[in-house]
Formats: sequence, structure tokens, C-alpha cells
Amino acid sequence: MTSLRTRLGLGLVSSLAVMIGLLWLTVGISVRILMEEQLASRLAHDAESLLGGMNIDDSGHASLDARRIQGIYQQPFSGHYFQVDVEGEVLRSRSLWDKVLPTPRVELGETRMDFITGPQEQELLLWTRGFRKHDRFVQIAVAEELGAMLAGMRDFRLRLAAWSLALLCMLLLIQRYIVIRSLRSVSAAADDVVRLEQGDISALDERVPDEVRPLVTAINKLLQRQRQRLLRSREALGNLAHGIKTPLTVLQQLASEKIPADDEEALAQLQRYSRQINEQLDKSLRSARLAGDSLGANHFDLRTDLPPLVDTLNRLHRGKSIEFRQHTGQAGTLPMEQQDGMELLGNLLDNAWKWARSTVQLTIERGPACRILVEDDGPGIDAAGLQLLAQRGMRQDENIPGHGIGLSIVKSMVEELGGTLQFQASQSLGGLQVCITLGST
Amino acid sequence: MRLLLAEDDPDLSLRLKRYLGKQGFAVDAVHNGVDAEFNGRETPYDAIVLDLGLPQRPGLEVLANWRKAEVKTPVLILTARDSWQEKVQGLQQGADDYLTKPFQEEELLARLQALIRRNTGTVGKALTVDGWVLDEETQSVSRDEQRWELTGIEFRLLRYCMLHPGRILSKTQLTEHVYEQDADKDSNVIEVYIKRLREKLGKDIITTRRGQGYVFGKPV
Repeated sequence: MTSLRTRLGLGLVSSLAVMIGLLWLTVGISVRILMEEQLASRLAHDAESLLGGMNIDDSGHASLDARRIQGIYQQPFSGHYFQVDVEGEVLRSRSLWDKVLPTPRVELGETRMDFITGPQEQELLLWTRGFRKHDRFVQIAVAEELGAMLAGMRDFRLRLAAWSLALLCMLLLIQRYIVIRSLRSVSAAADDVVRLEQGDISALDERVPDEVRPLVTAINKLLQRQRQRLLRSREALGNLAHGIKTPLTVLQQLASEKIPADDEEALAQLQRYSRQINEQLDKSLRSARLAGDSLGANHFDLRTDLPPLVDTLNRLHRGKSIEFRQHTGQAGTLPMEQQDGMELLGNLLDNAWKWARSTVQLTIERGPACRILVEDDGPGIDAAGLQLLAQRGMRQDENIPGHGIGLSIVKSMVEELGGTLQFQASQSLGGLQVCITLGST
Repeated sequence: MRLLLAEDDPDLSLRLKRYLGKQGFAVDAVHNGVDAEFNGRETPYDAIVLDLGLPQRPGLEVLANWRKAEVKTPVLILTARDSWQEKVQGLQQGADDYLTKPFQEEELLARLQALIRRNTGTVGKALTVDGWVLDEETQSVSRDEQRWELTGIEFRLLRYCMLHPGRILSKTQLTEHVYEQDADKDSNVIEVYIKRLREKLGKDIITTRRGQGYVFGKPV
């Protein structure tokens, strides 16, 4: 049971069901007790008035004053009965007709209540008490039929159950609404995390309930720290490059100036080693600069980051007039960090600008995976060249000066980003087509 | 041609200053961002070489401040950082070209010459005006199969004139673009060099506008 909603829902359903069940039982029992008590007090009252209307003459013969007997006791099987026992002499209500009530024996002053089955299978509540009148022991039993009351009770219980059930449902609906409402901010935070992964946002919304806020704040802090670390490490890498490459420049220039012209070997060696240092440094720096798929980083935005890049390329290749066609459709961002995207597209497009005659085309398709297509209308490459390109990321003929070592950088970047790189002839423009597919996001 | 060289490494700065000086540039070298910004703003340079990793004020900020202050001098960025992010940033801040370290001095020179020509609206590789062809490599000028060698200052003066043909160039302007900051600037010296150029290349090569300055070639 991992869903908070299910857990809360089940907890609420069971506790509410138990509570309402108990309520139903208590109310039912209380009402029954109350009714029985009321019935008993009425029976006691009838017994009192029977006792009052009873005469015992000198011969010891007992009789009842008919005027003091309520009419309901006169109708046969009316459900109201009495049976008076004066030391063996029994007086019965007319309503009993010739039936006898199975009365228990009681002591003087003792009261008993019994549920019995009377004439015509009637369910009766029998109230019996022992009195003393004119020094004689009188036992009066009064009974009343419970059928109506029991039916009423059943009715009441059913109605109560129906109402309880309705109440339970209503409460559950209200609870469900409250739970969903309270958990909405939690699911909003979960949605935020998805958007964070897609790079649409760079921090989670902190307007969440107190219970979730520490988590959200912690994530945001972590993201912030990660961004700062990336920033710091890039800054440090820049400083490292500056610190090594300036002396390297001086060394190279010194070499070409100071090494005697006849010592070609020394010059060649020095140039080779300094080139190696530079290449190794570039490679490591570039790899270290990559942010990769770090969470919460600003992604490369095609609306704000691409135009300056294209403008820069046009300035760097000033002699050329390149028509740039952009088919980016609905794609708003690339699934990679902003500077990573700048480096990747910069090298890709620079290569295209370098070789294109008049047109460069960028196509970006974003589905579960991201496809980046860069095409140019340059001379293109034959099959053997394409193979070499796929292996080394370099063209056979690298003599056109560019502003980067181009496709070999793209190749290693795509490898580090876990994507695939393909080269083929462009269908629409006739030059080279570079296709990059970056894993499903 | 007067250059501002903003590079914090003293050795590299000195080497470049010497090399560019030999190539006929008057070079003012500064070693931090604050000086760079001040000089670039106050002196009408023909081009600026700007290192991005300057102390006191980052090169990008210096560049942005110049462009904000309407300093239109072409700027070549010199940097050890070669990421596209930095290239884009630099060029969007108003730089005109970008050269990453390590580099060959010849490459820097070629880029600078291209930058200055582009800025003065001159096209083509060799500088040609009215049949006069200036060879920047040998610092000589030729016309109809005839060649004249030029001294350093003569070359600088003639190049500046040929980059601005037909326009009136005042003595102050010529002084500013031919000499570096610390040089002993006596505008009368310009007269001497104009005279020498006339003696070498013919009287009509540069005409004098009394009270205004000099004009190379036909007035526009």
C-alpha cells in the first residue's frame, strides 16, 4: 500500500464505518430501553389503578370495580391483559377471553418484567408485582402486546440504518474531496519533478503544504548547489585553460623563433608536443565542461539560444551568405543543458557553414527521443569518406579553416550524452546530413 | 594603424607588441581590464586585441562597456576558452572576430588585417588604390612594375592614407594612428614623413589642404 490516497481512503472508510455502526447500535438499544421503560411505567400505572379498584369483601372474595377498568381490557385479544391472583383466587381481564397468562410467582414488593407469548401468539411484555391489600397477598400481572412497538422499532432501525448509510456515503465523499484536494499539491510537486526532468523548469514550486515543503526545499537546495558547482567547475576549467594556454602560446612562438632554422627536428618535436598538450587539454576540458543530464539545469532553448548562435556563425563566416532553414516545429528546448547544447549545435552548424554553398538546414523532432538533423548543400562525402567520418569524426580533407575541430567534438559529445550519431548524404540539399538521436527522455 | 593590445601575460604581450610593431602597427599594450576600457574609450584605435581573462575587469565586461559607450573600434577577442558558449557571448557583446590560444603570430596578423580592411570597407587581399599596390608583408609599395621599399613610419603613414583614400586626414589624426601612446608625438614629424613619401613616390601622391590636412588620391 504505497498510495497515500488509498491509505487515507481505507483508514477513513473503516473508521467511519465502525463509528457509524456503533452509533446505530447504541441508538437502537437506547430507544428500545426507553420504550420498554415507558411501557413498564404505563403497565405499573394500570396495575395501581386495578389495585385501587379492587374490593375484598368480608368473606375474603375479591372483585374488581368494572368502572375503573379501561375499555381496552374488555375487548377480546386486544393485546392488553391483566390477571390478578389473590391468594389462589384469579381475576382475569375480559380481553383474555378464557386464556391464562403464564405468570411467574413473585414475592411481596417484588417486580418482574418478562417477555412471553400470549394468546394468539402475541408477543407480550408482562409486568408482575406482589402487593398486600387488606392483609391479603395480591399478585397483579399486566401485559401489553409488543408487536406494534417492535414493528416500530424495526422501522426505526431500518430508517436509522438508511440514514447512517447515507451519512457514511456523504462523509466519504467529503473526505475524498478533502484528501484529493490536500494531495493535489503533492501531485503538483510530482508533476513539477517531471517538468524538471524535461527541463521546462529549473526549481520546484515551494507553495506546497508544510508536510511536503521540507522535501521540496531540500530538492531545490540540492539543485541550486548542483548548478553552482557546475558554474564553479566551469569557471575553474576556464581559468585552467587560460593558465596553460597563454604560456603554451609563448612557448610555441618562442620555439619557431629561437630554434635555429637548421634544427628542423627539434622544432617539429616541440610543435608536435605542444599540439598534443593542447589537444589533450581541450579534450579533457570539453569533457569536464559537459553538464550531461543534470537535473534542474537550464536546457538549451531554441527560441532564445539559437538565434545568437546563428548570428555568431554568420559573423564568423562573414565571406559567405548562408540561408539558414530551421524546422524545429513544436520543439521548444533540446533535452540537454544550455551550454552543452550550445557546444553541440555550435560545432554541428559551424561544420555545416564551413562546407555549405548557400544553405544550411536544421531539423529537430522531439518525441520520446530527440532527433537533430543538420544538412548542408556542400560537396558532400562519398561512401568511403562517410565511413571514415563515422570512425574518426573527421573528414579526409580537413583543410578548410573552421572555428573548431567540428565533427570529432560532436562525436565525443554525443557519446558522452549517450546518443547515436549517423552520417549520410542529405536527401533534400545534396550535401552532408548529420543525424543525432538522443535517448528517450 | 594604431592597435590596443589588452593581454595580461607580460611575456606574450611584449612579444605581440614587438611582432605587430614590426608589421607596421603602433601598439599600446595594457595589462588589465580597467586600463583597457579607459584606453579603448579615449583613443581612436584602428583595432583592439582583447584577452578575455583580464584581471580587475573581465574582458567581456570591458567589451560590453565599450559598445555601450558607442566605441565602434573592431575588436578581436583573444582567449584560452574555446567553448561555443563563450564565442557566442563574445560576438554578441560586439566582438568582430575570435582567436583561441595557442595561436601563431601570423594568424593573429592575418585576422587583424582582415578586420581592419573590413572595417574601412576595403575588399581584396592586397591594398590597391589608384594603381598603387601596398604589400604589407614586405612593407613596400609598387606601381607599374616599379617597387619602392618603405621605412616603418613611412609604411604606417602610407597604409593609413591608402585605407582612407580621398578623405581629408588631419595631422593630429595621422599622428594618433601612426604612433603609439608613449612615442614622442610632434605633429611636425608627420610633415617630414609626408615630404619623404612625396620625394619617393612623386609629388602628387598626397595633396595638402591648407589648414585642414592631407588627402591621398583623388578627393571623393
